[in-house]
Amino acid sequence: MSMYSQVPAYQQTSYPVHGYPPQAPSYAYPSTSAIYPVDPSTFRRDYSARLAELTENSRPVIQGLSLYAQDYSRWADVAVSCIESHIRRVPPWMKLPAFYLIDAISKNVYEPFGPIFGSRVSPLFLESYDQVDPSTRTKMEEMLLTWRNGGPNGRQLFGAGVQSALERQLWGSGATPETSRRDFIAKAQVLGELNTTLNQTQQKLQINPYDTEARNTLAILQQLRSVVEDGVSQQHLVEIRSELHSLARPPPLLSAAPVAPALYPSAATYPPPVSYSHDRGTPMPPVPHSGTSYPPAPKPVVPSSEPSSSYTGLLSAPAPSGPVAVPSNISSLLDTLAKAGWGSSGGTPVGAGTTAPVSQAEAEADPSREAAREYREAIFSENIKFTSTDITKTKPNIVHILYDRLPVQCKQCGIRFPDTTQGKKTMESHLDVHFRQNRRAHQNLGRGHSRSWFVGVEDWVHDVSASSKGKESADPSRPLNVKVVAAAEAAKRGAELRAQSVVVPPGDEAKHIACPICKETLKSEFNEDDEEWVWRNAVKAEDGRIFHATCHADALSSLSTSTALVARLRQGLADGSRSGTPDDPSSRVVKSKSPSPASNLGKRKIDTDFTAVKVEDGTPPSKKLMLSATA
Amino acid sequence: MSSAAAKAAPAPSPPKEWTLEPETEYRFELDPGTSLAIKLVRGHAEVFGAELAEGKTYLFAHECKAAVFTYQGCTIEMSCIPSTEYVSDETPMYPYANVHIALEKMRLLARDAHHGSPPSGTEADSEPPRVLVIGPENAGKTTVCKTLANYAVRAGQDWAPVYINVDPGEGGWTVPGSISATSISAPLTTASPAHPLGNAATSAPTTLTSNALLPIVYWYGHSETKRNPLLLDRQIRNLGENVNERHEVDAEGRAAGLIVDTPSSFAASSSSSGADHRLMLIRACVDAFRINVILVVGHEKLNVEMQRTYGNRINVVKIPKSGGVVDLDPPYRHRIHNYQLHAYFYGHPINPPPGLPTSANATAGGESAMETNLSPSSSVISFDDLTIYRIGEKSMAPSSALPIGATRSVSEMQPVKVDPASPGSGVLNAMLALLAPPNPDDNERYDEEVLDLQVAGFLAVTSIDVPRRRMTVLSPGPGSFAGRTAIMGSFEWTES
Repeated sequence: MSMYSQVPAYQQTSYPVHGYPPQAPSYAYPSTSAIYPVDPSTFRRDYSARLAELTENSRPVIQGLSLYAQDYSRWADVAVSCIESHIRRVPPWMKLPAFYLIDAISKNVYEPFGPIFGSRVSPLFLESYDQVDPSTRTKMEEMLLTWRNGGPNGRQLFGAGVQSALERQLWGSGATPETSRRDFIAKAQVLGELNTTLNQTQQKLQINPYDTEARNTLAILQQLRSVVEDGVSQQHLVEIRSELHSLARPPPLLSAAPVAPALYPSAATYPPPVSYSHDRGTPMPPVPHSGTSYPPAPKPVVPSSEPSSSYTGLLSAPAPSGPVAVPSNISSLLDTLAKAGWGSSGGTPVGAGTTAPVSQAEAEADPSREAAREYREAIFSENIKFTSTDITKTKPNIVHILYDRLPVQCKQCGIRFPDTTQGKKTMESHLDVHFRQNRRAHQNLGRGHSRSWFVGVEDWVHDVSASSKGKESADPSRPLNVKVVAAAEAAKRGAELRAQSVVVPPGDEAKHIACPICKETLKSEFNEDDEEWVWRNAVKAEDGRIFHATCHADALSSLSTSTALVARLRQGLADGSRSGTPDDPSSRVVKSKSPSPASNLGKRKIDTDFTAVKVEDGTPPSKKLMLSATA
Repeated sequence: MSSAAAKAAPAPSPPKEWTLEPETEYRFELDPGTSLAIKLVRGHAEVFGAELAEGKTYLFAHECKAAVFTYQGCTIEMSCIPSTEYVSDETPMYPYANVHIALEKMRLLARDAHHGSPPSGTEADSEPPRVLVIGPENAGKTTVCKTLANYAVRAGQDWAPVYINVDPGEGGWTVPGSISATSISAPLTTASPAHPLGNAATSAPTTLTSNALLPIVYWYGHSETKRNPLLLDRQIRNLGENVNERHEVDAEGRAAGLIVDTPSSFAASSSSSGADHRLMLIRACVDAFRINVILVVGHEKLNVEMQRTYGNRINVVKIPKSGGVVDLDPPYRHRIHNYQLHAYFYGHPINPPPGLPTSANATAGGESAMETNLSPSSSVISFDDLTIYRIGEKSMAPSSALPIGATRSVSEMQPVKVDPASPGSGVLNAMLALLAPPNPDDNERYDEEVLDLQVAGFLAVTSIDVPRRRMTVLSPGPGSFAGRTAIMGSFEWTES
């Protein structure tokens, strides 16, 4: 799953159509029921504390916070002020997730949050907009566009006044369609909307590369963009924009129809937002508080079936006939746009959706080989002899080889990828690397860095990880350094251990239990598959005590007998009894079986975590080994 | 070509826009102490083969001289006006692109051969490109190498060519005085001559793979090849062995080939005193790296010479030099050496030009400027901890200058132990190359092993306390130097 913000875990546009089932059984939060806030101040404290967890764009966290706010909608103003002060307080890179929370609450619950946010959101939005980086700005702009018709009955989510004020601030004097259709429209605004639509179409293509409609639309939109970039008259801008708006308008038939439960996505296979982009105007009546209308944790469906259906009936309204003065290229572009991609109405949307993946599988039997063949052709079609005279005379189609062939570009570092399923995948993992590095950079703020020592000959000769471009799933046939393999295995073992869990006994959810070895609290979390609360990275010893799985494994694997350990374990025993775990004589079994040097205790758990992170980040293990060898 | 608006407004920091026609490049040179921010507003552009991302602000500093080239045309925005700037429509980019395509053909054939496809030609046809780039001073050799490497990694074929720098006058990703090789898997960006070829790995998280290079490094110790050509020859051959060994291990990666950047002395005219050793060093490179393509940058006579010597078995191709190359004077090269030494220890933070809004998120070649600050560690060690050698005599006349019949008391290749306590040892402020630990097996040890050990890191001696037999060394990171060996060269460290 990509965690990078370009494929955000949470997408504001997708919420309305699903109508997140409040209090659906699978998402009940036992912890909130355990600690029941009885007065606004308790609620404020709890809510602020949970807001602090919202450090990245995590769908579960946003959902949790949204549901929590809904449960206590009688104290909506408290929740709103908590979120507001949270946004003001946190560093810029943490602001966007909080806005997604506002977006989620307002669109899903609306009453009473929408109006309350409406009175406060404007300055908050603009303040944050000024502080964040360009890519986040784009995200905020996209979100703002969805607010245009994110409210009930396709109205502005926070009211026409707020919406137009925000848009005016962001894009200059461009006004909302309602107030002044013929007014001056900023080119930037149209371009922004164009880009949003483009992205959505691209994502749609990504789900279903054989969607020729979307492909046509994409081509037309790209042409439109270049036309707009070159500069067009006001009239054309107005026209293009109204066309874009009509694309975004919700189809009337879908506005009332409930979404089939089967389409309800599970957290793991959340389809990209574009699938639902045209439903963003769907009115969002508060879903009745009946946990029965949606089956819990339904199976994910083929994501591509939804986009086709949601495009049904779109743009049945013809494109507005432009003024006579419109140059033919623009009007024809708009015409094709209306006809080709967006105007078509699929007869049986579900059927259309299900056939697509089949043909896709047939056609893309071996996409990587196909891509390699195309590249060969491109290279070998350049008929250049490698001589001094020939290379100065001919003019190769280098632009195709370096640029056009690879239309997908990383906005961070400019690296390009082919526009294929494989290429998108590579791009995604590339973005993941960026994301992890950025996160590490944030975590490392203020910590000193230093130049690494150079690698030794052995490591350098065997270091082929650099040639795999940070891909962890390197070709197994490739010879790897033994050390690298060992490190990878250790990481895998660590991951397996961390995946172990122990079900929390009913009624113990609120209890804090510490690992007897490292003294750190075991983290509890909700396992959505089993619908149970569990302690992660935990293992239950024979005596019933709960250990960190990693700590326990370390202790078991170590063979040296150290009296320090016995002392330490005894102490842990005492701790255990303090925390209510019965001090059972059988625990001695564990003790005698798990002699470990004192160094294994203490912070070992953190050490293993660190190793895993390093490997995951693509840091060649050889470097680390070399480092420790030199130190 | 330039927008007229910029000239009309001499305000403190007027963002200035240039619109570049297709196939032109914008060249600029920066004065010491200034920096420049360039943003690609629209279109496509690249700096020495590394594409710029649209909307990102790129910083350049430390007397950087670079060019933004565009195949398709673009608009760029400048934070300020550099001391020298102009747009040229005469670039050798198409010849370079042709070379790239020719190399790509070789790579594809080599990969086919590795995958067992039917050989489409003779045996030689399936060899990956192993390119030696030679040319006179200020011909743009490094630029050619960098561009070719960048094009290769941009092909989307997972190429990771090995880039070899045998020019001891150019630090590349390490410090000057060394020769080294590294595999390139992401475009090498340009921001500062302190790191013209990317950055050796640090503990800091980096956005770009090209700023976390893992090179293998040997220490020659001088910037001039004629100082000790025998030593350089030996180290080139050592490096070649490592590279070949790596390619044997990684048969798939081998197809990407290698690119060798050379010092300008390889092309010095035969009348100069360095003539005797340069052919020997070229030979060393050709043998060590099994060169099969020689690119001669803008030098007719050298081209003819290479054709005669190697033309029967190696493809020798003359390529034009860019009109944008700048003649670099010795003081400039000296300053660059200092930038590179300093950047090795402290990173190369670039201060954005005044007036640049902080929200612009400016980056140094795509790397956020914040990450480039490094903290070296300074430690006091005993004279006895570290064994310091110098290779050959401290100042050595070429063998040819000795009286006829005279022999040296110390040969060029003899490691001479340096006592920091002796006056005039020159250890104070010297750059030392800390060698990797020697072979643990005593039977494998030999007298001249220090000549063949690669470098673990570089140290600078910042103070010496002779009475107490202690010295303070600056090292990139914490570490123990007891029992280690270091080699001294002729580079000096000056704290700026």
